[in-house]
Amino acid sequence: MFNYEFMQNAFFVAICISLLCPCIGIFMVLRRSSMIGDTMSHASLAGITLGLLLNTNPIMGAFIFTAICGALIEFLRKYFSHHLDLILTIILSLSIGTAITLISSGKLKANANIFFFGSILTVNTADMISIFLLTVLSIITLYVLYNQLLYIAYDEEAARVAGVKVDIINYVFAILMAAAVSISIKIVGVLVLSAMIALPVASALQLERGFKQTLLYSMGFSLLSMVIGLTGSYYLNVAPGGFVSLTSVGILLVVLVAKQMQHKLRQHTPNLHH
Amino acid sequence: MLKVKDLYFSYHQQPPYVFEGLNLTIHRGDYISIVGENGCGKSTLLRLILGFLTPTQGSITMETKNIRYVSQKNDFSHSGFPITVREILNSYRKLLHIKDPNEVNRVLELTHMTFAADKLIGQLSGGQAQRISIARSLIGEPDLIILDEPSTGVDAKSQESMYALLKQLNTDIGITILSVEHNLDAALTNSTKIFHLSHGNGHLCTPEQYAHEILHHTGKECSCHV
Repeated sequence: MFNYEFMQNAFFVAICISLLCPCIGIFMVLRRSSMIGDTMSHASLAGITLGLLLNTNPIMGAFIFTAICGALIEFLRKYFSHHLDLILTIILSLSIGTAITLISSGKLKANANIFFFGSILTVNTADMISIFLLTVLSIITLYVLYNQLLYIAYDEEAARVAGVKVDIINYVFAILMAAAVSISIKIVGVLVLSAMIALPVASALQLERGFKQTLLYSMGFSLLSMVIGLTGSYYLNVAPGGFVSLTSVGILLVVLVAKQMQHKLRQHTPNLHH
Repeated sequence: MLKVKDLYFSYHQQPPYVFEGLNLTIHRGDYISIVGENGCGKSTLLRLILGFLTPTQGSITMETKNIRYVSQKNDFSHSGFPITVREILNSYRKLLHIKDPNEVNRVLELTHMTFAADKLIGQLSGGQAQRISIARSLIGEPDLIILDEPSTGVDAKSQESMYALLKQLNTDIGITILSVEHNLDAALTNSTKIFHLSHGNGHLCTPEQYAHEILHHTGKECSCHV
């Protein structure tokens, strides 16, 4: 399998996704805004079509358009402070409307369909450079803003009192979400991308550990989903997006069952101290 | 230390106002409890002082920026959040740019919570979680701690030890405390002054004077020890 260059490329991108998506996902899940990931992934489709229309790198097109949509979500929060669902509907309509109009116009210079389900065959050198740069820059930004992001998720008011510029950091986080989405679309695909953002975190949360450990477990589960998902899609000749997503759900189920069994074992084990 | 002068505030920048010409002066070492009916603007006043809201008119001036806040939504509300007590405190220490990592151990010892350092916040009781909120507020030796109904979600026994801790921080370390209180007994027993908010304005009095006001208005004597 690894004799093929396209598989080497695919696994390189898979490692980037496994590193970045859970780092973004954990903050999104804990801020109860994981559905933003779904909207952002659909927004990326509009960016891809715009990139293809202008004959530029579609991943960079996706990143720029998704970052603008992320910033727009933050901006609209001021006007619809209790209606995040409504904001997401507005952005979704804008993005899908743009994508469908451009795809149906017949003016795109390449096929946009591979971005719906993901593909392991189409990752080229230009994609790998874009994905690598976005991943490195995002990880550095996350490292620098780690405590600020943690406290905005945990206690936003305490963060403000400590001098954290919450509004500015929320805009930076929107750009980081755009980066996570953009690096994932080629392999995972637009339709199931939110699975890579939320599901590894959901599995890690079941382990009931501290924040850093939960983040590390999320990365581990994400990497496991990608490796099993890509290998499975290679041998079964199916789209990687679907199989990676199913693997993520499978891992979550295994963790839930294991937790339940451990709980029952503890109940049946006699307490030796009494 | 803190002066609120001729404060007017409305959420819509026009009448009706929540506050109309409100004045309040807080001196170093005070322990002031803000009391009043539900909806009279107690928490709004705190949010104005903290800078979360902007006055429509008037001014709020402070001698110090070394202020901490313990919100009504205490750390117990985050029971599903995957974070240990040490992570909560250490992360906040870094936000405040305090380099000494022993600061976390110091505030845990002050609040008698060292045993809980490596526990998840969700594993603590309401009273213990509130002590962690107070421990967090002590990082960096603040001049002023602002609390919003600190006894919310805390059982009676833990309330007693929590107020004893606040009183100790005020008298022994000299930290100024400003607290919105719905627990009148605690306000009358622990505070050095009471700020009674009513009809868009307020007045400062001693706990003894406020106890007499209650007696005058309700005819019932307060059960607390002033």
